[in-house]
Amino acid sequence: MAIKLQKGQTINLEKGLYTLSQVTVGLGWDVRQAPPKGMLGRLLSGQQEDEDYDLDAVAFLLDESGKVRNLGEKLVGGDVIFFNNLQHPSGTIWLTGDNRTGAGEGDDEQIIVRLDAMSPAVQRILFVVQIYQGKQKNQHFGMVENAFIRAVDAKGTEMARYDISGDASFNGKCSMIFAEVYRKGADWKFRAIGDPQETDSFVDILRNYVR
Amino acid sequence: MGISLVKGQKVNIGLTKVGVGLGWDPNQSGSGDDYDLDASAFLLDSRKKLPNESCFVFYNNQTSPDGAVISSGDDTTGGSSDGDDETLMVDLSKVNPQVEEIVFVVSIYEFDVRKQNFGQVRNSFIRIYNAATNEEICKYELGEDFSIETCIEFGRLYRREGQWRFEAMGIGYNGGLQTVVNKYAS
Repeated sequence: MAIKLQKGQTINLEKGLYTLSQVTVGLGWDVRQAPPKGMLGRLLSGQQEDEDYDLDAVAFLLDESGKVRNLGEKLVGGDVIFFNNLQHPSGTIWLTGDNRTGAGEGDDEQIIVRLDAMSPAVQRILFVVQIYQGKQKNQHFGMVENAFIRAVDAKGTEMARYDISGDASFNGKCSMIFAEVYRKGADWKFRAIGDPQETDSFVDILRNYVR
Repeated sequence: MGISLVKGQKVNIGLTKVGVGLGWDPNQSGSGDDYDLDASAFLLDSRKKLPNESCFVFYNNQTSPDGAVISSGDDTTGGSSDGDDETLMVDLSKVNPQVEEIVFVVSIYEFDVRKQNFGQVRNSFIRIYNAATNEEICKYELGEDFSIETCIEFGRLYRREGQWRFEAMGIGYNGGLQTVVNKYAS
């Protein structure tokens, strides 16, 4: 069952619904509308700048002690997947690209994970979303239009979805710990977390996952 | 020492963090199936209904939208621990103001197909406790108290005069989790 259900959809009590050989985390949002013209309009709307919203999907690969084993060279080439490190050296997890405006329908960025090919050293993968330089640009999730983050299994079943824009708990927040997948025996399990954070930088969250 | 509650008895718990623990021992029934018990929570509004389906926390939805109820995950055999095999952690300070009560349920997955009831499960219990001190507020031994049942409304936390109270419900059903879902779905 997805976290967000359509009205009238019945609650599915069946177990083992998800096929976790692969998971896709999709992030989508709408391009910022131009703020009202003229100084007065801008003052009234509270919008000083008309900079685009740049949301980023990030993944941390964690070992058995819950830490990122390889931080790479300034995070490049390591176990954190983000806009400067689009693909893991193993080829088992990658980011489809860095969308800086939200242009396009549906998922604007995706992280795709081949869980069936993941190194045994990786026990858990944590997914995070942030607004790039959101603090500096006076932006937060409450302002972004139609922002969502979702996770889909190998068969296209949506396992969780947060509509970040519409939810009061994300108002004023610039990042969120979205979800995790973790090993249980021979299987992978998915867990939605949805924990909003003040920071606009995943690096602040990453600090809890380094030695 | 835990406080032993009679069904329907109420206590003012005066706590913000409580845990609901479900435990049982791994074993197979005559059909060779594991016993798969599940702990669930229904976050209900003033109509005693789920405001939306995501307020039903169970194995396919392990966190409530307000983050107040979080499941430790699904144990399908009872093998996780000698103590609690599944835990629902509740932070009452995070509960959405719309939510007036939280009902806790324990059920047996596929009891009908596997022809199982609580009387057959070894050392099964459900308990609610102060998460800070581990002091028990209430505990039911399922095999003794509900031997022929397959699903139980264990108890509920509810708001009264700005405080959270706990009522031991102990209502057994000869149905599955679906029975309780039907009761609370809006």
